[in-house]
Amino acid sequence: MKQLSIMVDLDRCIGCKTCIVACRNHNGLLDHETSMPGEMSHYLRVESELEGTYPNLKEDFWVVMCQHCKKPPCIKACESGAISKDPRNGIVMIDKNKCTGSGKCIEKCPYNVIQFDRIGNFAHKCTMCQDRVVHGLEPVCVETCLADALSFGEREILAMHADAAGKEIVKKMSTQSILYARTPH
Amino acid sequence: MQESKWIPTVCYQCKAECAILARVEDGVVKEVKGNPRARGKMCVKGMAGITTLYSQERLKYPMKRVGERGEGKFERIGWDEALDIMEKKLTELRARGEAHKFTYSMFPHSTTDPKWRFVNAVGGFISTGLPHCDSAKIMAHLHTFGCFPNHHIAPMYFTVPRGGVMILAGRHPFGCLDDACVPSDILNAKERGAKLVVIDPIYRSEAAKADWWIPIKPGGDAALFLGVCNHLLTYGLHDKAFCEKWVREGDMDKLMAYIADKTPEAMSKICDVPAKDIVKLAEMCAAAPSVSVDAFKSIMYGNGMDWGHAWSIFLVITGNLDNPGGQPLPEIAPMAPVTPVPPAPSLKELGYHRTGPNRAKFDHYNFILEPTWYAAQAVKEGNLKVFFASECNPALSEMGSGEWRKAMTMKDAHGDYLLELFVVTEILPSETMKWADLVLPDQTNFERWELLYMPWWYNFGQTAALCQPVVAPIGESRHANRVMIELGKRMFPEYFAFKDDVAYYDIELSGVGMSVEKLRENGAVWSPGTVGFRKYEDTGKFNTPSGKIELEWQMYKDIGQEWPSPELPLEYRRGEDEFPFILVNFRTIFLNNTGAWSQNNAQLRDPVSGLDENPLLLNPIDAARLGLTEGEVVTVASGTGKVRIPLRLTEKIKPGCAGIIHGFGQTMGKVASRGNWAGDNELIADAGSHLDEQDLRGGEAHVSTRVKIYK
Repeated sequence: MKQLSIMVDLDRCIGCKTCIVACRNHNGLLDHETSMPGEMSHYLRVESELEGTYPNLKEDFWVVMCQHCKKPPCIKACESGAISKDPRNGIVMIDKNKCTGSGKCIEKCPYNVIQFDRIGNFAHKCTMCQDRVVHGLEPVCVETCLADALSFGEREILAMHADAAGKEIVKKMSTQSILYARTPH
Repeated sequence: MQESKWIPTVCYQCKAECAILARVEDGVVKEVKGNPRARGKMCVKGMAGITTLYSQERLKYPMKRVGERGEGKFERIGWDEALDIMEKKLTELRARGEAHKFTYSMFPHSTTDPKWRFVNAVGGFISTGLPHCDSAKIMAHLHTFGCFPNHHIAPMYFTVPRGGVMILAGRHPFGCLDDACVPSDILNAKERGAKLVVIDPIYRSEAAKADWWIPIKPGGDAALFLGVCNHLLTYGLHDKAFCEKWVREGDMDKLMAYIADKTPEAMSKICDVPAKDIVKLAEMCAAAPSVSVDAFKSIMYGNGMDWGHAWSIFLVITGNLDNPGGQPLPEIAPMAPVTPVPPAPSLKELGYHRTGPNRAKFDHYNFILEPTWYAAQAVKEGNLKVFFASECNPALSEMGSGEWRKAMTMKDAHGDYLLELFVVTEILPSETMKWADLVLPDQTNFERWELLYMPWWYNFGQTAALCQPVVAPIGESRHANRVMIELGKRMFPEYFAFKDDVAYYDIELSGVGMSVEKLRENGAVWSPGTVGFRKYEDTGKFNTPSGKIELEWQMYKDIGQEWPSPELPLEYRRGEDEFPFILVNFRTIFLNNTGAWSQNNAQLRDPVSGLDENPLLLNPIDAARLGLTEGEVVTVASGTGKVRIPLRLTEKIKPGCAGIIHGFGQTMGKVASRGNWAGDNELIADAGSHLDEQDLRGGEAHVSTRVKIYK
């Protein structure tokens, strides 16, 4: 299997959202002059879960981006054949020239990560920075992560690194291509 | 995507001012990231700096007030007219012998910031939020071991050894008002076996990553650490060799006598941390190869000097001064002076530094700068006549916002404003500009020159950093430094004989064999390359009058403050029946507090990439007792103000505390004015008219506030 991946280390993610803004800047997802809060596209979002009651609390933070699914529901939903999974690296891409703007991929995405450009009438999403990784760079979110919580590489190699660091892959979060790891507790 | 397009410069979305790279394409900034020559990190605020740069709401030309102050009505004028207005008023003020009644509120970017030079040449003073944030820490460390400590910057987490203990007491370094490398450095230290201990009434991301979260009653930090010191000294767990060598003769015996009754059991009753936990913390620190302590909000309370003193004593008796993983003793970069240097007026004799009933007593205590929040009182008392403000938003950042607004609009018998001229330089619309007579369009860090050097950069391997323009300025904006240099050339040509800001920085940099051009060619950062440790071993002394560590503060003997009191701030010891909750106001990574340039930044106020709400945080136990439910709008009232905001129930706050984020409440600007959020300073008392005991115990810090909450 060929599958590039990003691994999110729950021991390190602090929910700071730096990656979201770095990704927006890199991909030109906003008009800096006029964009208003609540109206900007985003390829990542932060989620968190708090357990326990005061004062015995535990909280984890992580980011959710396109999971580059093994069998992407978005590909199945798209009637215009605009979405494909690159067999060379497993990255799921939307071809905006083929996209008809039906929005069906957005409805079917279980992770709610596909964005819609109303002006251009096309769907768009995280490409795992395909334009960068083919030239040997990391995705922007990985490079700019404030807490060094993200790592990039072949999925199997990332899982091996997690194991070597004494971390477990959180299976219920890592059912697709993106990995979530943490120290067992 | 060519590397050559990445230009090194400095961020200014907050006062940490991290060294960054900006990618410029066809004259437009497209991307930014941390400069790898300077630890390579940049936070979400910095990343969003491009949105500040290009916002359509940028102030683009100078404006003059046309209505009354507070109405926010202006007309466009030229720079010459703006400079004429400032020159005429300052010349008049000097002619009447009242130059000291000029204050410039700013954040100096170096100890020789050109704006500061101008203020000294006039004979006025600068004021900053620095005294509020850190004065108690700075003064405590100066008094005890004679160092000018790192402001806004934590200990050097990259130096913490395996097993070292990192204590955060009311401090949120993941919020990146420090260098953006700090979160990663703390997590790296943890990975190599250091322990993170968070002492805080609120559970935030630092607590989520901590080995141990200790919820504490706000203001209880002095008591907690006196209890820790009591245990260390009682059981001989302190660093005896260090104390014997470096502490002034007699001080250890006096400390032992003073601390004898500050037992963990006694201190537990004050700080609400179980005695067994105080003992556990003491023993954990005694066994560790290093301990660092950092505090921020806790040092702003009305017992800030006591807490700073207890903190200093703890560092000394555990031998954690200038060692890897301990408290760094930074040095200031030896920049060359730009002669002739205008002499500064005497703050003690002429400053409005202190007002209120205890002013004479408080003369014992002198900080190096004027705090901002006596401005309202100074206007009322006729001690502040001309006020300039850059990179700050006093209408929201002043404690007692209502009193501040009142002072700005007070008039004399002739109908003239008591404050004769109020000038604001700003990038985006700010609350403060509503009251200004002149509004001058300032530049972002992407458009201006600035030389940055302060002790705090020292900690991160860079002594100096250069901010350089990477794109052409927007509109007619001019950097405030250049405006003050131009005004300086008009009024004091002898002190402003250099060509411009770049020439000024060139002279300064010659002190370390550098120039602006050399810095530009070399990543825009410079340092000797190492911070060094235990530098007192080299000099054989500390920078105190005795050359030794001075645990007893003899200069405060006549006011009975030679040793730290464990008592809570005065505000927390009275009024509990009427105002049962302690207000805990705090900061987040997403906004530079009240700063108009982050409050008006669409990415930072976006709910996905920033923060767009400021509800009142309350523990469900308290809400149930009051019959309040999630989401309902409640009134929060203190003795001096009230606000109405929605309620958010959370397990993440200590019962008895009410949480609110600092910095909201702006009504100017399309982005910042969204939502009915309120400023915390509506609730906090005005410093000039509402203080008594804490004048003596709190340094400059006075956020301690009790509130009541009702439907």
